[in-house]
Amino acid sequence: MIRIDHITWWTHPPARRLRAVRALVPRGSRFDHAGTGRKILDDISCSILPGELTVLLGPNGAGKSTLLRMVSGEKRPHAGTVFLDERSIHTLPIPQLALRRGVLTQHYSVSLPFTVEEVVTMGRYPHCHTSPSAKDKEIVSACLQEMQVDHLAARPFNTLSGGEQQRVQMARVLAQLGGAGDSDGPPASDKILLLDEPTASMDLLHQQQCLTRARQLAKEGATVVAVLHDLNLAARFADSLLLLKDGQLLAGGRPSELLTPDLIYEAYGIKTSILYPGQYDFPVIIPALPTTISSGDNPARPDNHSISPNDEPVFGKDTSVIINKNNYFHTPINEKIYANDHPKGR
Amino acid sequence: MHRSWTRILLVLLLITSVLIAAGKGAMSMAPLQVLAILLAKAGIHLPVAYTQGMANVLWEIRLPRVCLGVLIGSGLAVAGASLQGLFRNPLADPVLIGVSSGASLAAVVVIVLFSSLSSAGAGILSGYYLLNIASFCGACLSSVLVFRLSRVGGKTMVATLLLAGLAMNALCNALTGLVTYTANNEQLRSVTFWLMGSLGGASWNTVLSILPFILVPVGLLPQSAKSLNLYSLGEAEAMHSGIDIRWLKIRILLLTTLAVGAAVAVSGVIGFIGLIVPHIVRTLSGSDHRTLLPDSVLFGATLLVLADLVSRTIIAPAELPIGIITAIIGTPLFILLLYKQKKVINTQAI
Repeated sequence: MIRIDHITWWTHPPARRLRAVRALVPRGSRFDHAGTGRKILDDISCSILPGELTVLLGPNGAGKSTLLRMVSGEKRPHAGTVFLDERSIHTLPIPQLALRRGVLTQHYSVSLPFTVEEVVTMGRYPHCHTSPSAKDKEIVSACLQEMQVDHLAARPFNTLSGGEQQRVQMARVLAQLGGAGDSDGPPASDKILLLDEPTASMDLLHQQQCLTRARQLAKEGATVVAVLHDLNLAARFADSLLLLKDGQLLAGGRPSELLTPDLIYEAYGIKTSILYPGQYDFPVIIPALPTTISSGDNPARPDNHSISPNDEPVFGKDTSVIINKNNYFHTPINEKIYANDHPKGR
Repeated sequence: MHRSWTRILLVLLLITSVLIAAGKGAMSMAPLQVLAILLAKAGIHLPVAYTQGMANVLWEIRLPRVCLGVLIGSGLAVAGASLQGLFRNPLADPVLIGVSSGASLAAVVVIVLFSSLSSAGAGILSGYYLLNIASFCGACLSSVLVFRLSRVGGKTMVATLLLAGLAMNALCNALTGLVTYTANNEQLRSVTFWLMGSLGGASWNTVLSILPFILVPVGLLPQSAKSLNLYSLGEAEAMHSGIDIRWLKIRILLLTTLAVGAAVAVSGVIGFIGLIVPHIVRTLSGSDHRTLLPDSVLFGATLLVLADLVSRTIIAPAELPIGIITAIIGTPLFILLLYKQKKVINTQAI
């Protein structure tokens, strides 16, 4: 289990002081220059359970990626600690951590012309001493197939498209965690998978595939944390959600409890309509058009952030069918765009 | 090409070029004669005729020089390949980024300041070691400075890297000029030798004096091959894959400066070997540092031995400084590399 214990991160770290001096200065007092600049993370505490896919949600700049960096052990929080099985993650040796924890960051480029297969094989490096064994090669080819990049294996990585690069990097991280059938690796319950916007440039199919695989790892007992922007993907795949805003933990819980119009409005400042299509067990979130954002400040209905039939667009009350399609496409903003696209005389 | 075949080819190439280079000169010997003389020392007598004069020339003049070429070529090439891995950029080179000029500045200072010391009876070997240590310190200082300068927000920018190297080269050259200005006649001769870059000072003593400083990096740098592969994914990504980044940086910088410092101490500044050798090897056997580093050692040695052969035979009996030869071969290749990298330099950080 990962326990995040009161972690705080400033843009400018706190001044180094002798422990004795720090002890004398009361916390929070005028003389307690804990840190300066903006607080990216502000006293966050929560637990991330194994066997679950936990999704970090929040608007841009909420501190999701920074929180993920703390959990991965890449950055040390300025205050507080991240515990992994009741041990501070920063006291664990880096090579040992790499045997059980894989991280997919948003940085995909590779500085030298490696092939796709070589990049994915690097995922096995923490496990092999000199060169990859037959077992490692098996895992690599399994992971290549799993992310459907096996046909790219001999291509130079840097010539791939963004989505393909992302899939290859995902395959590398999966290979690091031992792929599907690694019996010699750590037990599934020890594995940790951290994904920072894994689906950002993937197409529809591979988004679903990538998160299904992450979910599957979680079902096997691993701890999986993903930063996502797509609320519908989060609603579909997450076991639990952590909603961040301005470096603070706004809420945490099951998707069905957490994904309410009010909470979404509080986090993102946009009205939404939430549908529960009968045949699925997850909600569908439909954001309002930009024009209806401004009416969110309407003092007449300050506490109802769901889209109502009075707003545009208009949705049916209990089905997922959009009934007033014409209205939907004839809001002023769309007309303006339309006008710009087709200047007079053409 | 298959990787193990590339390795065998490079080994054969190195042996052939050593045999040819050792044979060419004022007293010409066939490669077979060279082989016979070498093997005779080991007790194996080939049915090839040679004179005692040939054996003496080979053992006393040619062989030290060829050995020096092998050592320096392999050291510079492996240092260049590792630096390119560490800077995450195929344009890094000990000379371009100013490591060599830092080393040569320190060497020149030592020559001028301590020339009285060595003439006062200090042994030749200890004099060379002193030079080695000084140039190592100079190389260390400039590489740490350039590494620090070229990093913007945790990333090495190509443009800043080359600019930092430019600044370092300019500063070191200016200071070297200043020191040269104050030198007397005899010191000036030694200093000029450094600035030209030449294997002309080769003797068994110089070979012995740099042997440990080259062998240690050549032996230890390939052990970081896996780490360097992971490092090409990115600094954080390498850490996630179990690499202690701080230790890797210290290790690579220390070992490369050791090799570059030693090379500069005995042969002056020889450019472009560290740049073009890894590049050519990459096109032969791929980017994997596990093959790149050992192959660079072999090919670097071959290339420098051949460049030295050209430098001492092309206008014989006079000698062209080897730095000129490597620059003439290297500059067009460097421009080609730069051209390929143009997009990267313009738009993105590596």
